[in-house]
Amino acid sequence: MTDLSSGPAPADRHNAAAIPAEDIILELRDLEKRYGHIQALKRSTLRFRRGEVHAIVGENGAGKSTLIKLLTGVIRRSGGTIVWNGQEVELATPNEAIAHGINAVHQEVVLCRHLSVAANIFLGDENTKWGLLQRRDMTRAAQKILDDMGFSLPADALLGTLTIGQQQLVATARASLRGTKFIIFDEPTAYLTRQEAAQLFALIRRLKAEGVTIVYISHRMEEVFELADRVSVLRDGTHVGTRNIDETNDAELVALMINRTLDQIYHKEQIPLGATLLETRKLSGKGFADVSIAVRAGEIVGLYGLIGAGRSEFALSIFGRNPRTAGEILWKGQPANIRNERSAIELGIALAPESRRDQGLNLNLPIGLNINLPVYDRINRGLLIDRAQEKRRADDQIRNLAIKTPSRRSLASSMSGGNQQKIVIGKWLNHGAEVFIFDEPTVGVDVGTKAEIYRLFATLLRNGAGIILISSYLPEVYELADTLHVFREGHLVGSQGYRERSHEDILAEAIGV
Amino acid sequence: MTTEVTPTSIKARRNWSFLFALTLVGLLILLCVALSIATPNFATGNNISNLLRQGSMIAILAIGQTFVIITAGIDLSVGAIVGFSTVIVALLIQSGVPVWVAIIITLVVGLLIGFFHAFGIVKMGLPPFIITLATLTSLRGIGLLITNGSTINITDAGFNQFSRESFLGVPNLFWMVVLVAVPAFIFLHLSKWGRYLYAVGSNPEAARLSGVSVPKMIYIAYGLSAMCAAFVGVMLAARLGVGNATQGEGWELQAIASSVIGGTSLFGAVGSIHGPLIGAFILATISNGANLLNVNSFWQRIITGALIIIIVFFDQLRRRNR
Repeated sequence: MTDLSSGPAPADRHNAAAIPAEDIILELRDLEKRYGHIQALKRSTLRFRRGEVHAIVGENGAGKSTLIKLLTGVIRRSGGTIVWNGQEVELATPNEAIAHGINAVHQEVVLCRHLSVAANIFLGDENTKWGLLQRRDMTRAAQKILDDMGFSLPADALLGTLTIGQQQLVATARASLRGTKFIIFDEPTAYLTRQEAAQLFALIRRLKAEGVTIVYISHRMEEVFELADRVSVLRDGTHVGTRNIDETNDAELVALMINRTLDQIYHKEQIPLGATLLETRKLSGKGFADVSIAVRAGEIVGLYGLIGAGRSEFALSIFGRNPRTAGEILWKGQPANIRNERSAIELGIALAPESRRDQGLNLNLPIGLNINLPVYDRINRGLLIDRAQEKRRADDQIRNLAIKTPSRRSLASSMSGGNQQKIVIGKWLNHGAEVFIFDEPTVGVDVGTKAEIYRLFATLLRNGAGIILISSYLPEVYELADTLHVFREGHLVGSQGYRERSHEDILAEAIGV
Repeated sequence: MTTEVTPTSIKARRNWSFLFALTLVGLLILLCVALSIATPNFATGNNISNLLRQGSMIAILAIGQTFVIITAGIDLSVGAIVGFSTVIVALLIQSGVPVWVAIIITLVVGLLIGFFHAFGIVKMGLPPFIITLATLTSLRGIGLLITNGSTINITDAGFNQFSRESFLGVPNLFWMVVLVAVPAFIFLHLSKWGRYLYAVGSNPEAARLSGVSVPKMIYIAYGLSAMCAAFVGVMLAARLGVGNATQGEGWELQAIASSVIGGTSLFGAVGSIHGPLIGAFILATISNGANLLNVNSFWQRIITGALIIIIVFFDQLRRRNR
């Protein structure tokens, strides 16, 4: 398969020769990770210096999470070598990573809510005497660690009673004990208050002064410029460059993150817009507030924003999955009473949800059943299903969408990501909706299938449908959306027409710099 | 880089699944042939009729249980419902209610018990295991309380006679299996409700986002399971001629075992009507054969346990190959 998305990687201005070999604590040579059909990380070479803060930036899906998992031994590489302190290592298990002194603070807290802070800090490394836990000693030791780090947290409190931000600090304390040489922070400030973030930054600077290497992953540019010594950019699973922080700026990093020419992929037809199909007026709910948008026939409305900015919550609320607290929804100019998913589907709204595996598909059931699930109410003869129609409808979608399967009886789980997405789309084409909500439709989908999905959008639009396209992948919404709305922290922070403003402006708006 | 699924591997897989169904029937036939050779008493009309009567009640319980297991749930209460229903139907008949009315009332009581389970699961958020475990013990208590721990004799001759008679040479109780299995097959394999059951068991969130009412399907599954159990209670009351709340002890486990031997997955979304039926009659044949061969009844339990492990292990192997 030809890869259209990235040309040859730009030359790294700071090649290996610039760093003395003994300064390099960890080197990743041509590291690769494949998940079946999907290449999550493509032959990337990265070097980390002893005692530096090394930021890694990139869009969602650029390969950052894959990199963390590889470094912490959660997953194994598919190719390439990992050199730790001049020695080749495997990093096959989390224990091996910890033994080397590598640990990570994850975006979501992965600790036990029902245990105390001290128990969490020492989990897996308990202090025992004669096989009995030394609870009091551990609590005392944990309190000292927390105090030393400048976190004012009680070591004997249950973790679940703390705020998410405080839990994040506990996770940080735990990681600092294990990651004595190398600590990865994945979006650590996402849930922190300003004060907590300041405590965290102080800790990071202190660890750095002690010679610990810090990998800092963040969407927030101002944090990268405040903390990092160097910054590496990932795009589409490839390392596209590393810069010294004082030799670069926002604009260059953003350009590196999203740079590409994709006219071949983004199939955009000029389709005359029709009447307004769906409109929201100051819609509010959990995770978003005061969102007003309109979708016309033949129009793609893009919703851009980082994950967690409220786009998906908004979409689920339109679809009746999540309750709304204020505002109204109009369907073809009339107030619509959307109480649940069924009433949304009956109006003619379809949702291809964010997670195919968790929300979109019944994986261990046949493709045919998945495609017909929304229409079983309609294809009956008396009490029984009209089997001929059931078969024909499934086969029609498999043929039209070129789903690569030997039979409609094959299980959805046996399909690749792209084909699974086609099954979700086929389900709603079969149902015949008028407004299609696509939430991250091309995540984990290869470039060829992406192009097919975009051409499918054009077909839907020509047939008079409207599309709400949610994406945290800017080029996608930028190139396809007739109207583009930007979400940040649950609010619409900007709206514009087709290609009205530059990528950089929009990204800046979403990140808030 | 892509490893597409080839048509041949799919065909091979389907043959596997077909083979599994055949293996079960084969196992049943093998058991029968072996027992016919081992003991002259097996292949007699009397014994076969007896075997069909023994197996039919567990078979009907297993059908109901399968609906629930397909939704990735479990119904531990069916044995207790059987015992409770014998009491209800006996009390009603003894108090002079016409037999057919008594049967309908008993079935409705069963249905309501099932709805109560669904209510606990849907509205109270209780795990199926817990809510049905709770009724398992309380229903026996209620039944004992109503009867003051005694056994109620049913004096209606026609009601008792029915369970002993045959129609076209086949015991009436086995005809009851047909009466339940045919609509159950249509429901599960040929109607939209069956498709929804599988969808709920496979991924309730995806089902919900496709417009399937998940709570409704939970009510239907547990309602049907409990109603099947109440029906079995009526059959048992007819066969024994008594109502007693302690009847049907441990039958829920036999029903679950039959269903699982018949290829139902406890993780949901996999199962059929014919599988559990064959499973129930395999268990009945083993128990019947063991009795004829004078095998210690303790051994029967051990054999049943070993069989569950072996059959389900092979089923898992087959699934892993998919």
